[in-house]
Amino acid sequence: MSKNVDLNQEGVQVKKSACYFCHQNCGVLAYVKDNKVLAIEGDPEFPTNQGGLCSRGNSALQHLDHPDRVNYPLKRIGQRGEGKWQRIPWQQAIDEIAARLSDIKGQFGAEAVATAGGTQRTDDWARRRFMNLFGSPNGFHNAHLCWIPTFMIETAIYGWCPFDLDLGNSRCLVLWGQNPGASGMPEMHHIVDLQQKGLKVIVIDPRYTETASKADLWLPLRPGSDLALALAWLHVIIYSGLFDQEYVDTYCEGFEALTDHVADFSPEWAAPLTWLTADQIRDSAVMYATNKPGNIQWGTSVDQIGRPAGATMHARALLRALTGNLDVFGGDLLTGPSKEFITDEEMEANDSLPEEQKTKQIGSDRFKMVTWPGYGRIAELSKAFWGKAPTAEWMCEAHPPSVFRAILTEKPYPVKALLVSATNPISSYGETSLVMEALQKVDFMITSDYWMTPTAMLSDYVIPAAGALERPTITSSYGCADFLLASQRAIQPMYERHNDYNFWRDLGVALGQQEHWPWETVEDAYFHKIEGLGSGAENYDQFVENVRFHFPEREYSKFKERGFATPSGKVELYSSVLEGLGYPPLPEYVGPTENEIDHPDLAKKYPLVLTTGGGFMPFHHSEHFQIKSLRYLRHEPYMDINPATAASLSIKDGDWVWIETARGRIRQKANLTNGIDPRVVFTQRGWWYPERDMKSPGLGGCTESNANVLTTTADKDCDPYSGAWANRGLLCRVYKADPLGDKEVS
Amino acid sequence: MTRYAMVMDTRRCIGCQSCTVACKIHNELPIDIIYNPVTTIGPTGTFPDLTLSFLPLICMHCDNPPCVDVCPTTASVQRDDGIVHVVDSKCVGCLSCIMACPYGARQHNHETGTVSKCDFCKDRLEQGKLPHCVATCHQKARIFGDLHDPDSDVSKLVKNNRTVQLLGELNTNPNVFYIY
Repeated sequence: MSKNVDLNQEGVQVKKSACYFCHQNCGVLAYVKDNKVLAIEGDPEFPTNQGGLCSRGNSALQHLDHPDRVNYPLKRIGQRGEGKWQRIPWQQAIDEIAARLSDIKGQFGAEAVATAGGTQRTDDWARRRFMNLFGSPNGFHNAHLCWIPTFMIETAIYGWCPFDLDLGNSRCLVLWGQNPGASGMPEMHHIVDLQQKGLKVIVIDPRYTETASKADLWLPLRPGSDLALALAWLHVIIYSGLFDQEYVDTYCEGFEALTDHVADFSPEWAAPLTWLTADQIRDSAVMYATNKPGNIQWGTSVDQIGRPAGATMHARALLRALTGNLDVFGGDLLTGPSKEFITDEEMEANDSLPEEQKTKQIGSDRFKMVTWPGYGRIAELSKAFWGKAPTAEWMCEAHPPSVFRAILTEKPYPVKALLVSATNPISSYGETSLVMEALQKVDFMITSDYWMTPTAMLSDYVIPAAGALERPTITSSYGCADFLLASQRAIQPMYERHNDYNFWRDLGVALGQQEHWPWETVEDAYFHKIEGLGSGAENYDQFVENVRFHFPEREYSKFKERGFATPSGKVELYSSVLEGLGYPPLPEYVGPTENEIDHPDLAKKYPLVLTTGGGFMPFHHSEHFQIKSLRYLRHEPYMDINPATAASLSIKDGDWVWIETARGRIRQKANLTNGIDPRVVFTQRGWWYPERDMKSPGLGGCTESNANVLTTTADKDCDPYSGAWANRGLLCRVYKADPLGDKEVS
Repeated sequence: MTRYAMVMDTRRCIGCQSCTVACKIHNELPIDIIYNPVTTIGPTGTFPDLTLSFLPLICMHCDNPPCVDVCPTTASVQRDDGIVHVVDSKCVGCLSCIMACPYGARQHNHETGTVSKCDFCKDRLEQGKLPHCVATCHQKARIFGDLHDPDSDVSKLVKNNRTVQLLGELNTNPNVFYIY
């Protein structure tokens, strides 16, 4: 409740809304009068946040009508990046964009139109529906860096991704590269509650994070060396006899092959690769394997280590099965998709995309797990077992760096249009120089966003997006959960902002897809999804007001009756699905993307190990830098460096320093902290400076402190399974920046 | 008689500063005024043998508030329920209270010319709601209630845990208790 606002005045309604500043979607109560939000606060009855809101959540009203928001459709009238715009009516924007897309499709084929998304901050089944009906397979997000490769590899091995942890009944939680203390607040308080009841927590993280400081065991491994650790855990669990004999004998295939495969991956082998001691590796494996039931919580880090990512997910996935922690009471549950409500996949119209177009998906020739070849195989197995498939948007996407390269090289074919929605690729996609070049070259680009981002500045049209409080929300783990949490919009979108759903729908209608978009509003579409729940609600808002949540009863050990959704019906420790797609059926060791053992010359020039991409409060990805009441907490970018390393480089706390990799260099300020290994540095992600001149060439200082200038997307550095590129486990050097300018201090 | 108190369970605090921001936004404080900063202590030690803790600060709403004693205009007052606050209309901005407060809990508000401080969101309490910093805390590290009510969470926490009052030796007798 804001100061001096009487919430008891006549006409104030309380709307059950949701925060939209990350995908936790915490419950928010919005006090509304005359389509104006007077105040917000955390909803105490919402099961995840229970009344809590983080810094961002509290800033909803600052976000809602911020003077820098984009409120009307804008058409570029100057040069790209010049910042000269003409305000045009919504329908004119839609019609002009549709006409141009139609031309491009006629001349180059539908596949010449691609879309870029960010994280799950939109109704992207609608984007997929549009793209499928339009005929292009080239939609993509930062999916590759966030869970999706993990989902697909785990599903290949045991038929679904066990992302639903039965944590309340667990005795041990492994947080593998996850820091809920800075990026998952609703989760963190449950963990601390359960710790007080005896839950053991193991944190695997190169940094001494907020979460690591609360852990029972902290494993500060070398960034990117997770695979060696996972293989050594497999070795310990098998060769110390800590596996669940009955589970393995009855429900798994390929144990003998796995036993032979990990024979040499001892803790002593992994110690120099991970920078942990053999005892640390052994003790942590024993803690996980003997405190049953236990969980391994997914974290983004492994998705972001590049070349070894897929093999790491593969090895990590096997741990759950060996220990018998898969789909059991207190373990990691295989829920499958919802049988009771219509899933995102069922809203995507995937059958509308011709087979011929599927084969054209960029990247599907090399990175098969999250493109049509792998997705198609998994969807087939999934439909046979669960009756439904995972969401295709996210799980089946073009390879983003390859699309950017296609824009530049016209190989394998020209990509002429890029529809950007809810992302700022300059900040958020790997290897900024590649992205910048592609965005400047692409013939036609439109951006739908809240803000005039650096990417929006380079666009031909900018479309105003409705955001938190202006949109209803269904939270259902990328459409793959069997549960859902439903929230309503507090107010209709302000100005000429539209929900992303309506943008795709309107564009679709303008392109002749009218009959495929029967739902005029997001609420109509959401109600169609949940109508089958039999809640008695007559419309979506009624459902939110009276029901709001759907949590089916948990069924444990379903495999005893039904087996697993794999070709053999068992957990395939030796994976036939991966083998069939041309991948190793057992996880083979490969070193971190850049490392001192495989690349000694590179390590001489770049002697420090870089990790980046980790979340930190109060920002989310590249967002919220405009909001003063958040920015004052961290008004400049900081990189973490150990005081001993800093001293050897004559760097003092607060000095501006350059961080440089083989791709380029950026400037951040040095934060001297003991919480990081002397051989490692950590840079903050997402930074740009919206307060600066947004015009080209500076574009709000979007390359100055941007961690993605440092990251790599070359094919050789990408995970061969998924194409995930590398933010972590790279080599860099650090040196002091001249406080007055660009010059390097020698 | 009600005696409002807050318990800071530092075992739960993760230093996210949601409390700091919630207070600032919802109380519409100027950019340079913070009622409840969260101080980070550490990481202390040598990598990898480290400890890290967070210390949320706020006005201690002392039983014996030196800020009230020194106020020449009776603008600083202590209510019967223990809440210490400033009556803006009486404050002349002499800053005596800022000097007297050993906790740094008071700040000069350049927009109003008066002294600003936490008042445990007394207007919200009247409507049956918790202070913003408490309501917003995901970690439930801030617990608020009536110390004189034996059934309240705060009185139970104070009774059953080893708690500390900051600068207890000054005999200010704060109504903010720290569990560590």
